[in-house]
Amino acid sequence: MGEVILTMKEIDKSFPGVHALDHVNLEIRKGEVHALMGENGAGKSTLMKVLTGIYSKDSGTITYEGKEVEFSNPRDAQDAGIVIVHQELNMMNHLTVAQNIFIGREMMSGKLINDAKMNKEAKKLFDKLNIDIDPTEKMGNLTVGKQQMCEIAKAISHEAKVIIFDEPSAALTESEIEELFKIIRDLRDQGLGIVYISHRMDEIKVITDRVTVMRDGGYVGTLITKDSTKDDIIKMMVGRVIYEDPKTESTVPKDAPVVLKVEHLNAGKMVRDVSFELHKGEILGFSGLMGAGRTETARALFGADPKDGGDIYVNGKKVDIKNPMDAVKCGIGYLSEDRKRFGIVVQKSVAENSTMAALDDYMSGIFINKKKENEVAQKYVQQLKTKTPNVDQLVVNLSGGNQQKVVIAKWLVRNCDILIFDEPTRGIDVGAKSEIYHLMNELVAEGKSIIMISSEMTEVLRMSDRIVVMCEGRKTGEIDIAEATQENIMHAATLRD
Amino acid sequence: MAKNEKKGNAFSNNPLVKAVGSQQIVVLLAVVVLFLVFSIASKSFRQYTTILSLLDTVYYIAFMAIGVTFCLITGGVDLSIGTGMICYSLIGAYLVVHVGVPVWVGILVSILCGVIMGFFNGFLVAVLNLPPFIATLCSMMITRGMGSIFTGGLSVAWPSSGSAQGAYRNMFKLNTGSIILPIGFILVLVATIVMSTVLNKTRPGRYIIAIGSNKEALRLSGVNVVKWQWLAYVISGLFTGFASIAYAGVLASSVAPGAGAGLEMDAICAAIIGGTSMNGGSGTIIGTLLGVFVMALLKIGLPFVGFQANMQQIITGLVLILAVFIDVLKNKAR
Amino acid sequence: MEKIKNNAFVKKIGFNRLVLTGVLILMYIAFAILEPTFLKYNRILSALNYAYFLGFLALGVTFVIATGGIDFSIGTVMFCSALIGGQLLTVKGWPMAVALIVSILVGTCFGILNGFMVAYMGMPSFITSMASMLLSKGLGSVFTGTQSVSWPQAAQGGWFRKLVKISVNGTQIPTGLICFIVVAVICAIILNKTKIGRYILCLGSNKEAVRLSGVDVKKWEFLAFVICGTLAGIAAIFFVGAYSTVQPGLGDTYNNDAIASCVMGGTSMSGGLASIGGTFIGVMIISLLQEGILAMGFQKDWQYVITGLIVIVAVYADVRSRQRKN
Repeated sequence: MGEVILTMKEIDKSFPGVHALDHVNLEIRKGEVHALMGENGAGKSTLMKVLTGIYSKDSGTITYEGKEVEFSNPRDAQDAGIVIVHQELNMMNHLTVAQNIFIGREMMSGKLINDAKMNKEAKKLFDKLNIDIDPTEKMGNLTVGKQQMCEIAKAISHEAKVIIFDEPSAALTESEIEELFKIIRDLRDQGLGIVYISHRMDEIKVITDRVTVMRDGGYVGTLITKDSTKDDIIKMMVGRVIYEDPKTESTVPKDAPVVLKVEHLNAGKMVRDVSFELHKGEILGFSGLMGAGRTETARALFGADPKDGGDIYVNGKKVDIKNPMDAVKCGIGYLSEDRKRFGIVVQKSVAENSTMAALDDYMSGIFINKKKENEVAQKYVQQLKTKTPNVDQLVVNLSGGNQQKVVIAKWLVRNCDILIFDEPTRGIDVGAKSEIYHLMNELVAEGKSIIMISSEMTEVLRMSDRIVVMCEGRKTGEIDIAEATQENIMHAATLRD
Repeated sequence: MAKNEKKGNAFSNNPLVKAVGSQQIVVLLAVVVLFLVFSIASKSFRQYTTILSLLDTVYYIAFMAIGVTFCLITGGVDLSIGTGMICYSLIGAYLVVHVGVPVWVGILVSILCGVIMGFFNGFLVAVLNLPPFIATLCSMMITRGMGSIFTGGLSVAWPSSGSAQGAYRNMFKLNTGSIILPIGFILVLVATIVMSTVLNKTRPGRYIIAIGSNKEALRLSGVNVVKWQWLAYVISGLFTGFASIAYAGVLASSVAPGAGAGLEMDAICAAIIGGTSMNGGSGTIIGTLLGVFVMALLKIGLPFVGFQANMQQIITGLVLILAVFIDVLKNKAR
Repeated sequence: MEKIKNNAFVKKIGFNRLVLTGVLILMYIAFAILEPTFLKYNRILSALNYAYFLGFLALGVTFVIATGGIDFSIGTVMFCSALIGGQLLTVKGWPMAVALIVSILVGTCFGILNGFMVAYMGMPSFITSMASMLLSKGLGSVFTGTQSVSWPQAAQGGWFRKLVKISVNGTQIPTGLICFIVVAVICAIILNKTKIGRYILCLGSNKEAVRLSGVDVKKWEFLAFVICGTLAGIAAIFFVGAYSTVQPGLGDTYNNDAIASCVMGGTSMSGGLASIGGTFIGVMIISLLQEGILAMGFQKDWQYVITGLIVIVAVYADVRSRQRKN
């Protein structure tokens, strides 16, 4: 490890209603790989966005190469030598590798682009990184791993001094990760400072020199990787005080019937051989880190995405769910994590959204029975305590929590017995959150069964009767609430095979 | 993802096929087959004059198609090219015949009109963010009306080849006395080579492809996307201007207002057959030229083998559906 | 301004539609001042002739635009229907009623074709409907051997013309207007009161959310095109009822007029928002415009230019209002 190249000190940043960064510190040295860790929403990305000028900071200082700096946009940061390799790749698939790397700064001979020279320069970059990619290949023909290598090459071609990897391994195969690590080590040995954001504990041990842990927007501490254990890091990540009381034991009777049984479900790379059971009146928590395949499992189960294989039994009967229509017929309702895109039609009214899945029951002849529709919508507005002036209000005018209640109403109007809540409280303020929790408890008390996908540890521990933990498309743990702790969930969530 | 690497077979991995593009090879074969079928089936098709009239059709469709390929590659479309071509041709002809300006001025004005309309379309799409198909649909109506209004609803004929001012027609058909040489084809080839170079070897072309591929990524790379998207429509307008001259230059009779409706489909169809994707990002000028030959062969050849001339629209429609369907399938495979 | 917009009456009718009605009235007054024959009953009847068939086209395409799609084939499909029906009637001697039904069915078939390609095969609607524009144009002229077709006059057994107007004691009564209003009301009911309309509007606004609610989105999107095609077939009857003769190879300019009427009336090109009332007034404005242009001795072509400019303004307003909302 060499001298310090970048210091972020006491960085503070607030968004309306959220204290996103609370006096965070980060120090990067030349020739080190520095892990930035924390649960989902701990503030890692926000910190990096402040660094590269996407967000402006409220207070604190950034010192880069001995000078205090403040970048106004990613381009400035790039020109100064700080580059992010994004998780979502910004590539133009129809152009070649070299054309992508040099987009916006093509090498010219006269008026014409000198593709030969760009190919040669790209080749040189790849040689420097010891990667074998043909610069003339179309970007769209490369694997995700190779595309990532190209992003890295692009970063280096900017003469980067600090490279930030934002969850680089999420979409890579085992051998691609090996290759990535080799490159990262090379870059480190060339004296670059590297920030490595990842959830994967074992990777952190292999590749990084130091670890900085963040939690709930705050700075927890920095460790030397080789002197610390996995447990040390997990403790720092989850060591928050839990204000709400976690559930101590399951409220589901031992003999409660199985309403949903999933066996060997497979769908793409993100759902691999997933099996579980859901009992009547149970809240089954699905825990795991970002990209663990929980949403994908729910979507495959619901028929929203195609399945590769697996059997589904509802109330003991084998069912064939090919599309959401089939799922709804089986009494399954899905509340997406992305309400605006997948949950509600924002330009339509509360009433119209409420009866969307069950319109057949609100017809008189060929006409929609507006009165009956309004009545049922009104009933659920009252029952769910949805804050809306009337049921004709357009959903776009409601707050996030109330929009969520409209989605819940949609499935209750359809009388679904199995509800999949995908991140039910994401983007919802604290007050509305506890209302949603209360509601979920009421629903199971009425005999409905809930699958709750959540990335919030407190939520999982507070609501679930049983917890399924997933990691990289596989089920890596099933824990009864009585035995569940933050630590053993996190262990399972980072359990790679 | 590993599937991708193994994708392709002996045919598509052949270096020659790779360089030209497999769809282009197939289209080239289609051109050859169509030509052979028509030649074998009809004796009168095998005449030099038929070849000439085939090429006459190629010229104006080719210019429109080359221009609109740029719009399609950005992920947009230009529907105003058919009516635009007639409009610019009418305006130029009117100035030459009824106002008495020299022919070369008329030609320049026609081309300039195309450029102006291209600016207008580009403004609507790139700056005002209107959906390209509806914005250029409006320009289609406007050009359709304007041409006719300009001439008072009358047809106008550009000077004929025998007349004193008819020398411009030699750009397309050089009458050496004993034989008529279709030198317009050289113009089309030059345009193809130049625009192919612009598309593949210059910054504007590179950015136009990138806009169609991933506009946001290009914007984040610090490139002025509005400017280059705008330019694509200007190119389309410019080439429609050229097409208006090619149309007038080979047409023996007069240019009639209202004749342009539907001609844009010949050009768009040619581009899509040639492998340009409706989703943007991919397309070649060579492919478009080959597509133009398919369209021209269908237009000229079908009557020779006993189809009514009006069957041509039905066949164009079916070919278009097929081409779009192949495009949809290709995108799904990705 | 805000006060006017919040007035209960204004809210019920819709601010935009009131403005549009105002425009319609002002246009009429302006035309009447410039060209006094506009005060004559015959002038109005002549303007209405244009409104009938255009109205049916516009009502149909409103459903398609509500799904977020477009149909460029309606004008030529209307002509194709009229040509095929007319040919069967005049040349083949089929009974009138059958010819009328065939005309409508031809429209329905094109609607089915478009709907199938768009909803079930996932092809982009604007280019597929362009293809059916070519198909319908070609089919019409092939069927008639490139001959134009004239439907019989009222005196020669053309009883279907009673749908357009009847003559009582020498006074012409525009029954077509009644038909148009009745169909418009039915369309408004379908769009706002039935399952078809509900799902069409919802899927135009957010198709994925509707699909994930367990709704068969393909079916409803398909049906929108079928409604549109069928109405284009009905439009054919009103076209020949007013103008008698159809020529092959034409019809595509009416697409633009119909789409312009919808967009003007507040139907959003991005789907999810549609107003039959708005379309109705839009149709009246376009019809009045074309009559006015003819009456004042301008070339018909001015209509294309003006319609084009109107659509640009209307679409721009739509794009802007959406940008502001986000």
